[in-house]
Amino acid sequence: MSSYFGTILQSAKTVLGGLGITMRHLKNATNQRDFTNIAEDSNYFKQPDGLVTLQYPSEAIPTPSFSRYRLHNDAADCIACNQCANVCPVQCITIESFKATPDDMAELGLTSDGSKKKLWLEVFDIDMAKCMFCGYCTYPCPTECITMTPVHDFSEFDRSNFLYHFGALTKAKAAEKRAKLAKYEAEEKAKKAAAPAAPKPAAARTPLAAKAAPVKAEGDAAVAEAKTDAPKAEAPATDTPKAAPKLSPMMAARLAAKKGDGAAAPAEAKADVAPEAKADAPQPAATASGGDGGEKPKPKLSPALQARLAAKKAAEGGDGKSE
Amino acid sequence: MAEVAEPQRMSVAQLGMTNVLIEQGLDTDHMVLSMGPQHPATHGVLRVELVTDGEIVVKATPYMGYLHRCFEKHAEALEYQMTIPYTDRMDYLSAMNNEWAFCMGVEKLLKIEVPRRVEFMRVIVSELNRISSHLIAITTYGLDIGAFTPFLHAMRDREHILNLLEWLCGARMLYNYIWVGGVSHDFPPKFKERVAEFLKYYKPQAIELHNLLNENEIFIQRTRNIGVLPPEVAINYGCSGPMLRGSGVKWDLRRDDPYSVYPELEFDVVVPDGRTSVIGDCLSRHLVRSGELLESVKIIEQCLDMMPEEPGFDPHAAVPKRVKPPAGETYVRAENPRGEMGYYIIADGKGTKPYRVKARGASFCNLSTLPELAPGNLISDLVAILGSIDIVLGDVDR
Amino acid sequence: MNNFAAIFDNSWSNWLSDLGIAGLLLLPAIPLVFIAVYALYAGVYGERKVSAFMQDRIGPNETGKWGLLQTIADILKLIQKEDVIPSAADKLLFVMGPAIVFVGAFAAYAVLPFSPSFIGAHLNVGVYYAVSIVSIEVVGILMCGWGSNNKWSLFGAVRSVAQVVSYEIPAGLAILCGVMMAGTLNMQEIAALQSGINPNTGENNGLGLLNFFIFQSPVAWIAFIIYFISSLAECNRAPFDIPEAESELVAGYFTEYGGMKFAMIFLAEYASMFMVSVIISVLFLGGWCSPLPNIGPAMLNTWTNGPIWGVFWILFKGLFFIFVHMWVRWTLPRLRVDQLMYLCWKVLTPFGMAAVLITAVWEMYVRNPIK
Repeated sequence: MSSYFGTILQSAKTVLGGLGITMRHLKNATNQRDFTNIAEDSNYFKQPDGLVTLQYPSEAIPTPSFSRYRLHNDAADCIACNQCANVCPVQCITIESFKATPDDMAELGLTSDGSKKKLWLEVFDIDMAKCMFCGYCTYPCPTECITMTPVHDFSEFDRSNFLYHFGALTKAKAAEKRAKLAKYEAEEKAKKAAAPAAPKPAAARTPLAAKAAPVKAEGDAAVAEAKTDAPKAEAPATDTPKAAPKLSPMMAARLAAKKGDGAAAPAEAKADVAPEAKADAPQPAATASGGDGGEKPKPKLSPALQARLAAKKAAEGGDGKSE
Repeated sequence: MAEVAEPQRMSVAQLGMTNVLIEQGLDTDHMVLSMGPQHPATHGVLRVELVTDGEIVVKATPYMGYLHRCFEKHAEALEYQMTIPYTDRMDYLSAMNNEWAFCMGVEKLLKIEVPRRVEFMRVIVSELNRISSHLIAITTYGLDIGAFTPFLHAMRDREHILNLLEWLCGARMLYNYIWVGGVSHDFPPKFKERVAEFLKYYKPQAIELHNLLNENEIFIQRTRNIGVLPPEVAINYGCSGPMLRGSGVKWDLRRDDPYSVYPELEFDVVVPDGRTSVIGDCLSRHLVRSGELLESVKIIEQCLDMMPEEPGFDPHAAVPKRVKPPAGETYVRAENPRGEMGYYIIADGKGTKPYRVKARGASFCNLSTLPELAPGNLISDLVAILGSIDIVLGDVDR
Repeated sequence: MNNFAAIFDNSWSNWLSDLGIAGLLLLPAIPLVFIAVYALYAGVYGERKVSAFMQDRIGPNETGKWGLLQTIADILKLIQKEDVIPSAADKLLFVMGPAIVFVGAFAAYAVLPFSPSFIGAHLNVGVYYAVSIVSIEVVGILMCGWGSNNKWSLFGAVRSVAQVVSYEIPAGLAILCGVMMAGTLNMQEIAALQSGINPNTGENNGLGLLNFFIFQSPVAWIAFIIYFISSLAECNRAPFDIPEAESELVAGYFTEYGGMKFAMIFLAEYASMFMVSVIISVLFLGGWCSPLPNIGPAMLNTWTNGPIWGVFWILFKGLFFIFVHMWVRWTLPRLRVDQLMYLCWKVLTPFGMAAVLITAVWEMYVRNPIK
């Protein structure tokens, strides 16, 4: 009987408490939060309680400068090393390049950080619809020409518009340069055939040239690797001496006990059904006397579980499993 | 529980009625309902086929696989480091924890150790992710029960965590932050201060959420003594995480199979004390998650204090250029917000791609208890039970 | 015999009905227009804004200043939607359902006293009529649920019927308390008896608020709360919105409805919300009477009583309860069906009966003692 009235009283109390919380939010609705970038604003967490709606797109919080959103490739800096295409998990980057003839080197020019370019970048397509925004392509790039920009709002109506073309050559120019390359290579071949006895220091100097295919730019992989920022060390050890981890007393006791026990499989030995006194809530006092009236309800098991447990109990005959 | 006979369908033409199928052979007092893939309460694309006797569920069978994206097959085709964004996408609400477990496995195969500062960074971001994941779990559970407001309050707080993580690594939800051997970015200047400010801001919000939702008598009446999962059954089904702790089993991988710097941190493993809930019911599981919010806050505070400051620290220092582990296999597990996330990785020693990666999703095992818990309850209780299991379909289907 | 001519005279409605057919058509049109405007603004717009502010959001603010035109935009959108009737649905039931739901809610407006000078139909059994006509809604709900040919809709409809029918009992008991204190079922008279103006002598006792029935009996507040809770259940509002439990049944008995049919059901829900708010204001809070007291030379009560002031007061009180409906909806989770029934039969009904008994004793021996 007392639980009947107790439940009613408890309901009334908690309902009124909840109503108070929402009323407080309603009263705070005259304040509106200022929208700032968490990286730049030291008052980010000191705003008053109130409305938190950002009316996008008329209001927008600028994304942090190194956010990983839309990709951009600066084709003038690209040396077509294919590192980004190789590392992309979804293979959304397509690169097609071919060697430039030696007299075109001046036309090719240098990248912005001074490294030489050896290949014409015919096609550099990124399919942003496939891109998973992991950022892996930006790490191995030796010239840092491929970057992830903070532009996150680039929706299109037509999916084919998501194929971004960064290649620098027009079709005509590409055809012209390829033809030039083919002619150059034919000439070189003829020259080599005509002078077989001449020493071939060039071949020895660049062993990679021997296995480089004319179209793909894998030959510059060596250059790329030399320049990359990626860490060289494969060895795990760092320089700082490793301090022994300082175990908390609880943990230390536990590990000692475990060692003493012989480390039984935790599932069988350590299943601790006795509930801990640790609070399930920050405010234990609030509902101290409340609802039950001293009578705990029996756990209501579904019929399937009841049948199963009953059968198990009958089968085992009291051999307690993990109590 | 009566066995439901196979329904026999008679065609429209046979009956001469327009567009109405009559199912014969079905027990007249059982209704077959499909809580279909599109349903507000199934937390994703999950189909639960219900056989009900009026409002009481007689049988509930979950049908999953609507979100299967072949993670394990992808992992066989990609190098180890390239798989990490895919691990993000399994339990997408707690991406950091997925990445961490995978990286631990690969680091174990390679036998490399990560710098201490990296360990602390990993713990901080994983615990932040745990808070944001639990916020969603707790308040979408409120949505299922009918309390609309706590959800929006929690999203407001979750925005701060997402902004912090975007500042750190550039992405809001699928981070690709924890790499094999290290992390992708060092903490920016002032990041630690901002995290500390966030924790100070957040503690009263957690208490307000508790008062608005957990203390509400209607909520308690809806979730108390519903879906009671006895501890032995939970263990037998392979449940883990809050599902297992809600049944009173004090099992937390951060304590019982510790990894990283967790042995040095002081925190409590939250188990329900049966004061307002019955041990093993939906309310217990919910209260475990609520309690873990503040435990995570405690952990992050300790890490911020204990983290070594190294000027000029390179988070890529221990990241191997080519991940080519020797032949071997390992099973590694981590405490995800939903339970035990495990990876069984087999390396054949012949290349940079694993031979096999099996991902053990926590939600998959937790969901398998549904057919046992549901019968005998009303449909509203089924929704409550499903919400308390806290599944993420990406984790169930992978 | 009481002479209420000094307090209310129904002059506006009498004038309209004396105009013949045109007047008789205009008479119900006024509450209908009122429902439409109220439901658009206080109903949908108010709900969206109130819920938004409680959830730290802004709510509609793009269409028109402060989003005031949002509901009009929604209505326009709903009007032009295709009228979809599922091919397997029972056409007659499917189409008639929303109409009957709306009729049930709207017909009760006939006896709502909007002013001392205006009431649609001055029935001597006004309260009784209002309570019983709402039961027609139940038939409409069942028609919607069954006619949709959707198991989930049927679930929602069956739950709703059980809920509405059950909660009429405590609602009726609470109303009975108010009616006992008034001694009449006539809505205008009930309001008039709380005005503080003695019907026989015509003098105002100037107490204002304290004349309201909620303060006139030690258990009137219990009856008030019981009626308020029952009214939440009658309107399928949270925490009793299990028939439309969004997270379980998508939308309950009106899942399959779209376009204007959906708008009608929605409108009916807001209409019945206002109706129960007015009933509770009339029975316990004085209806169109002013709550302000006459304090010496500042005769606030006399100044704020009157036909037009009456409209203001009844609308104010009605809208206040609408606000409380919304406040409760966005705070509390919903009750499960059996808990709802438990609340009705094992909590509200016993308390209601106790309240009726105590009110009867109080009336007979204390307030209006039998001489």
